[in-house]
Amino acid sequence: MKRTPFFTRFGKSEASVAWFFMAPGLILLALFVFWPIIYSVPLALTNYSVIGKTEFVGFDNFVKALQDRSYITSLVNSLLYVIVVPFIQIFSILMAILVNSNVKGIKIFRTAYYIPVVTSMVAVALIWGWLLNQNGVINYVLSSVGLMKERITWLSNKDTALWTLMFITMWKGLGYYMMIYLAGLQSIPKDLVEAAMIDGANRMQTIRKITIPLLKPYVFFCTLISLMAAIRVFDEVFILTMGGPGDATLTSSLYIYKQGFQQFNFGYSSALGLIVSVMIAVLSIVIFRFNRKGGVNPY
Amino acid sequence: MRRKPLRFTKSLLLYGALILLAIFMMGPFLWILSVSLMPGKNVFSSPPAIFPTFIDFDNYVQVWNYMDFPRYLMNTVIIALMGVVMNIFFSCLTAYPLAVFRFKGRDLIFALLVMTMIIPAAAGMVVNYLTVKALGLMGGFLAVVLPSAVTVFNIFLMRQAFMGMPHELRDSGKVDGASEFRIWLQLSLPIVKPAIAVIGLLEFQGMWNSFLWPMIVLNDTKQYPIASALSFLNGQFAYNFGWIAAGTVISVIPIIIVFLCTQKYYMEGVSGAVKG
Repeated sequence: MKRTPFFTRFGKSEASVAWFFMAPGLILLALFVFWPIIYSVPLALTNYSVIGKTEFVGFDNFVKALQDRSYITSLVNSLLYVIVVPFIQIFSILMAILVNSNVKGIKIFRTAYYIPVVTSMVAVALIWGWLLNQNGVINYVLSSVGLMKERITWLSNKDTALWTLMFITMWKGLGYYMMIYLAGLQSIPKDLVEAAMIDGANRMQTIRKITIPLLKPYVFFCTLISLMAAIRVFDEVFILTMGGPGDATLTSSLYIYKQGFQQFNFGYSSALGLIVSVMIAVLSIVIFRFNRKGGVNPY
Repeated sequence: MRRKPLRFTKSLLLYGALILLAIFMMGPFLWILSVSLMPGKNVFSSPPAIFPTFIDFDNYVQVWNYMDFPRYLMNTVIIALMGVVMNIFFSCLTAYPLAVFRFKGRDLIFALLVMTMIIPAAAGMVVNYLTVKALGLMGGFLAVVLPSAVTVFNIFLMRQAFMGMPHELRDSGKVDGASEFRIWLQLSLPIVKPAIAVIGLLEFQGMWNSFLWPMIVLNDTKQYPIASALSFLNGQFAYNFGWIAAGTVISVIPIIIVFLCTQKYYMEGVSGAVKG
């Protein structure tokens, strides 16, 4: 048998065809996903900004970050923001159980609960911003029902602003997680529940022994993505408070944005971004470990 | 005989809960719709305006004339379609060999891709801004779309879909002498249509709602997509509630219509992303 020349062989091998297929996508990812991760590092070691000469400053940006009160506040706020995660999980699981019932018109309700998910955060934030204004509908209703003595300026009071933002984030996200949990609930084999019922298990027992264990992989997934979303939260803060009052709602993403695109301190902004990235990476590794140790197997 | 009333109260309770929750989730939208139809009323009057006394489309007419909404909607449609087409094309191309080929480095590539899903580049925006600038794309729609023209998430989803494809299909194509590209285009893509629809829809929604990145890379506000235009409008006319309410409704309605027409795929897509 005659050997085919090298180039023909290479041109027809699966590997070369594979690389040919993947090249466009990989080039784009390299440019806009990998390059930012790589280039942030040298950038973070300079004082690169729009004005002035760019110089290598070593770890100055990182030292500066640790002494930057606003940055520390933004990190604390971002960590506080994580409090939405368990609430989102609990409420969306309850919602999923509710819309898992097989009654007439249930699809209309599912759709209604999902609509906040598809609409833009700009619109959602504008609407809630008005509703929550000092003279807005929420205050009016709460005070006329007698639940409140004084009207609260929900978003411009430093004690309530961050919690109010969390509420809006939760409200917008509930439908998304509800759908995932609904998919989880519907994937539980019906005969499993029926068999347990025949064996004399009651409602609560089947929920505790069958539904919750089988839902665990979904809880893991939803917790992970909502955790990352909470740490990255940006849009609602940007539109509604811009970090204020004071630094009460300044989150780390917003501060990175402010340093980068308002102060044009690209070097410093990159350093701040790197710190947050490393934090999130560590956090997700911890969660993955925890998940493995918990012995949860996706099925 | 005793079962019936129990069932009745039960379903009454269920519907009660469902309706209360619907008011909670839909209420803000219905209220903004109501505000947008109120003639010349202040939403912060006391008592605040909740229901319109008579319906009037004046706010819509005025804001539509002032803001050139057709232009913003067109911008959004162009950006969204560009994003959808690119995402479908690039993720189908990239995911295909990762799913069906056997070659050295396949697992490494895939691992690298998945890793970027765990490490979110919070600083990515600054570097991407510099990249887009260096490429000379600033101020064009390509600058808006290109950084998200392919995402690891979509590649992941398409890979799952291609993996579910029967092996015999590719073999039969090979026996018939079709090139890999033809096998991909004519045999494989039709099979993964549902997955393509899903990423198309999710991408459309994402592009429709993006507002920050477009504001960063577009210099001219006339090029803004609808969400960016809305936040711009809010900054300009924060006092003109009727206008902004009408603008908000205009910005929300198209995407809700698209969602209602395609909700079956949306829902499947969201849940499929986990199961996959």
